[in-house]
Amino acid sequence: MVFLNLPLLVRARGPDEFWRKRRIFKLAAHYRSRTRNVYSLAIRSVHRALAYATKGRKLKKLDMAQLWTTRVEAGCQQYGVGLDTFKEGLARSDILLNKKMLSDLAIWEPRSFETLVKISRERAAVEGLPDIKRPSAFNQVYGLSNLKLD
Amino acid sequence: MSFLAQTVRQVLRQVPNRSLALTSAMRSLSISPAFHQQNKPAPSSVDASAIAKDQLKECQSICERINKQVAKSEQGRLFAVVHLCGKQFKITPGDIILVEGYWPPTIGDEISLDKVLLAGARDFTLVGRPILEPGLVSVKATVVEKTLTHTKTHFRKKRRKQYMRINFQRSPNTMIRINSIELARPVDAKTEPESEPSKRLF
Repeated sequence: MVFLNLPLLVRARGPDEFWRKRRIFKLAAHYRSRTRNVYSLAIRSVHRALAYATKGRKLKKLDMAQLWTTRVEAGCQQYGVGLDTFKEGLARSDILLNKKMLSDLAIWEPRSFETLVKISRERAAVEGLPDIKRPSAFNQVYGLSNLKLD
Repeated sequence: MSFLAQTVRQVLRQVPNRSLALTSAMRSLSISPAFHQQNKPAPSSVDASAIAKDQLKECQSICERINKQVAKSEQGRLFAVVHLCGKQFKITPGDIILVEGYWPPTIGDEISLDKVLLAGARDFTLVGRPILEPGLVSVKATVVEKTLTHTKTHFRKKRRKQYMRINFQRSPNTMIRINSIELARPVDAKTEPESEPSKRLF
């Protein structure tokens, strides 16, 4: 037996209205004013919030990277070395610590960090990187100008 | 002081082999020494090997002091920077670190983290180039917990374009507890014939 009357051809409207709305209201429970209680307003703000949350997960990683850069830069500037020179000097000495670790070391292990800065500065001076105005301490002491090590 | 000397030591490792050849080569290459070089041109009589010998002596004394301290176990708690699953962690015994994403070891596995980039204590720091010699610092860890993350909602919507997608995702997480970080053998000791290297390098 086939029913061909009109109501059966109407598209199903999804789950029951009460439950459909309740899902949204649960997410909007902590909002203020009518966005908490009025469905048409609640769903707008819930959608916007979810979209922000999705984007925010990526932004958080970028923000952290930026924060680490700032910290490392501040850390090496207190010894008078620029960030680029510092990183270049470390890379040329085969020290492959990443920004997160360097910032951690700058904060919690200041003396280890100072060592790293010295290593890097020494390497930069020996290799003649432009940022280093002072000649290499090693070269100064022993008069071995332009001696390239490694 | 020890830090500075350590710095120099790192730089100085390969001096005796190449320095003489390099100095002469560099001098012949430089076009206008007074203008380009910040340092005074070296007197030709400088004996690089003697300097290297001095430095080696100083390095040895530093290593001896470190070894003495370790032998008396006065070095205190060690920390280390290890490379694990593409990320670097600064760890100390008792820490729990979180490895995100798929990672085969299961609960109860005892593993040793071999890629140690840097290890330090109160009075000294060992810097690896890029990792410390295998077997110098032993970092032991246990896999404590394997779980999934909380549900992350991946939601995209374009206004007025009838475009809306919603997905839910959970990824595996592994917690590892660091049991111990120890200096396994004296610093700068002559490397004994390599024992069987561990098959899996974490």
